[in-house]
Amino acid sequence: MTETNKNPNLIEDALRNALHREDAPEGFVLQVLARAEQQNSAEQDAQSASWLSMISQPLVRWAALAAVSISLVIGGVHYRNLQRQRAEGEAAKQQLMLALRIAGSKLQLAKEKVNEINTSRPESQPQNRSPRSRS
Amino acid sequence: MSTITRNLVPLILLLAFPAVLRAQELKLPPGVEKLASKAKETVEVNMDGPMLHWASKFLSAEDPEERKAAKLVANLKGIYVRSYEFSDEGAYTAADVEAVRAQFRSPEWSRVVGVRSEHDGDNVDVFFKLENEKMAGIVIISAEAKELTFVNIIGPLEVDQLADLGGEFGIPKLKTKPQSSKPLAKADKGEQK
Repeated sequence: MTETNKNPNLIEDALRNALHREDAPEGFVLQVLARAEQQNSAEQDAQSASWLSMISQPLVRWAALAAVSISLVIGGVHYRNLQRQRAEGEAAKQQLMLALRIAGSKLQLAKEKVNEINTSRPESQPQNRSPRSRS
Repeated sequence: MSTITRNLVPLILLLAFPAVLRAQELKLPPGVEKLASKAKETVEVNMDGPMLHWASKFLSAEDPEERKAAKLVANLKGIYVRSYEFSDEGAYTAADVEAVRAQFRSPEWSRVVGVRSEHDGDNVDVFFKLENEKMAGIVIISAEAKELTFVNIIGPLEVDQLADLGGEFGIPKLKTKPQSSKPLAKADKGEQK
């Protein structure tokens, strides 16, 4: 059995001594912050260096250029297709409107003729007039 | 005849004669199609269902005329127009027009308007096709002195839509004219052959 086991007060004293509050040395916070900043910038430098080293490789440069060129070509073709589709759609719309105008005008002509007949009949043939369904 | 053969015959017939599937369409006789070469101006519009729906996507909802057109064509299955404008009279014969009219002398078609004008020679026929008491198509045949027009609209058309068709699209609605002193035309309405 040790001496501290024998006397519990000794344990408490030992713990108190070990865990007693001590103020940080002067400039400790500043040192910690400076260290952290240094570490961050070092990581960033390493990252940018790795990107630069990748881009500086000819293969990657050509691949990037090819990707941009292909994107531009695909975008251009897509835009051109859209433009062509829109032009064809507009032409179809004009055709549709023309067809409806012609149909409308011919229906108007038919109605006009029927109305002419209806208005002229009471004078000429009043006895023959009979109610008929209108179109 | 085996079952397979019996089942295949109607299929082969349908494939061999697509006209059977498009029985509602206006078929112009070769003589009428040839009129295009004589015409000063020709308008030919062939729009089937998918084409109509595609074209209607480009109709503006802000334009009142186009908005009505979009509503009108929403359920249509086709619009076919042939219009020939000639420099001189007598470019076509009555037989040419009669050959087209004859196609619609069937029980499924009703001639609702038939105008024969002795005054100016304008003849207009309007045929309706009814299915289950609803309009399923309209054919307009207009034979004027210097103009010959065939219009075939396939699909359900409401009566008010039809009125719109006649009164919109830049053509003013018809106003009743003052009484004429002499009869101008003969009209047959409601005739069905």
